[in-house]
Amino acid sequence: MKQGEIIAGFLAPHPPHLVYGENPPQNEPRSEGGWEPLRWAYERARRSLERLKPDVLLVHSPHWQTQLGHHFLGVSKLSGKSVDPIFPNLFRYSFSLDVDVELAEACCREAQAAGLTAKMMRNPKFRVDYGTITTLHMMRPQWDIPVVGISANNSPYYLTTKEGLEEMDRLGKATRRAIERTGRRAVVLASNTLCHYHFHEEPAIPEDMSCEHPQSYAGYKWDMRMLDLMRSGKTREMFEILPQFIDEAFAEVKSGAFTWMFAAMGYPQIPGELHGYGTVIGTGNAVVEWNLVDRGLATAA
Amino acid sequence: MTVVSAFLVPGSPLPYLRPDNPPWRPIAEGYEAAAQRLKASDPDVVIAYSTQWIAVLDALWQTRGRVQGVHVDENWHDLGDLPFDLAVDTPLAMACVAGCRSIGVNAKSVDYDDFPIDTGTIVMSALLNKQRTPLVITANNLYHDPAATERLAKLAVDQAASQGKRVALVGIGALSGSIFRDEIDIATDKIRDAADDAWNRRMLDLMVAGAVDELRQCAPAFAQEARADMGFKHFFWLLGGLGGGFAGAKLHAYGPVYGSGAAIVELIPS
Ligand SMILES: [Fe+2]
Repeated sequence: MKQGEIIAGFLAPHPPHLVYGENPPQNEPRSEGGWEPLRWAYERARRSLERLKPDVLLVHSPHWQTQLGHHFLGVSKLSGKSVDPIFPNLFRYSFSLDVDVELAEACCREAQAAGLTAKMMRNPKFRVDYGTITTLHMMRPQWDIPVVGISANNSPYYLTTKEGLEEMDRLGKATRRAIERTGRRAVVLASNTLCHYHFHEEPAIPEDMSCEHPQSYAGYKWDMRMLDLMRSGKTREMFEILPQFIDEAFAEVKSGAFTWMFAAMGYPQIPGELHGYGTVIGTGNAVVEWNLVDRGLATAA
Repeated sequence: MTVVSAFLVPGSPLPYLRPDNPPWRPIAEGYEAAAQRLKASDPDVVIAYSTQWIAVLDALWQTRGRVQGVHVDENWHDLGDLPFDLAVDTPLAMACVAGCRSIGVNAKSVDYDDFPIDTGTIVMSALLNKQRTPLVITANNLYHDPAATERLAKLAVDQAASQGKRVALVGIGALSGSIFRDEIDIATDKIRDAADDAWNRRMLDLMVAGAVDELRQCAPAFAQEARADMGFKHFFWLLGGLGGGFAGAKLHAYGPVYGSGAAIVELIPS
């Protein structure tokens, strides 16, 4: 078997508003649109993903929060209706997804070998969280690529940010080893918002874009500073200031997906391609791609 | 008297899914005892607040008359399913939504198929509210402080009073929050830290004594030092609904749940 590899990573945030704005048949509520620049950013990411032809998409989501270790979806087919507990008016999505259980099990084993508590989720009635589903829908609405879903252990919140993110780093490296050993061509998705300061009231029409703008100017400036580092490939500098960004911009990257993804990719010092940035109920969201094939760090399909 | 009984109960699914595990048996049995007390108080409605139903934007109230389904816990999916079939007192819940505006809180009704009901509400409904008295259930808005949580409970009880209803008031949440973060032999479960255990016992003693002023004073330190579940807001919910005080309490059970503290406490309305 050929050694597997990670061919790209995407920062792929999960505001359910983006699914709502798109009006796909799987989502019950109907909208007049909204958040177009971010949705167009995802259109670009979708085209890029199409060219990459991965075997599997791995996603780490803050909205499957676990306390006892890191969990992996481990049922080959999961389906149901995911209703967002915060925005049930916007997101009631009928999903059906195929899990790459073999890879998930390999990830779980490698995580355990790295000294982490890790566990497979084998309950067929489990309802996949809306973060995982939104990120996957926005990246690949056809749902024709198997997935590995990974929970966000609450360590960055329960322990210190530093200790928690060190765990995510180990989880990412374990994920990479599992991908290599199972021969997969994999794309890793970090389901995270940047600045997470948000408005506390929804407009009467949620998609009324005259109400949409950054909630916090300081948070916006932080996002721009981080995007600047991402776009110029200054990965080391970015991770040096990540804890400060998390504290000052209340950034959702605290939950670990972003660190997990970069650890899995080996923290490449390459520019990320910004597909787009926009706010959702005031929070900062960017769709960014690190294409390891284009940079000669992985082989083309 | 509108509030005819009041209970602080844990929302962990572990004593529900594994009631025979020796360290969890006291909580399972305490739930039994409290269920009988709730039944004896003959309420028309159970008004409950669960720390595990997280809200961010508004105060949320479940208004769908019947909510049913099967929930699988995010953490304990390997221990079994959590089927539920809840009856909701829709007119009272709607009155709570409307009433929120009068106290300056944004509120929304939740009336959707397949809305994710939280584990704590399901466990409480199965173990405490066995006779299926209609419920009013509301969320823990992360931005609401203890004082705001008290006001919401008072509002709900006032609305029940104006509808002439007898209320069993329930706060669903844990005591100390330090947990075991690695797999343990569940038969050996205990409160993770001795200091947490001391804090839990101190707070429980104060409840039994009805020492409300001291409880209010200690709560912030308890929340911080013992990682009390969600700042112990479920206790303030009870306090608010009981008009700011209570005469004393009966401790039905206290014990560990994977290192955290859990108790079944019946607060006696004054
Ligand atoms: Fe999120």
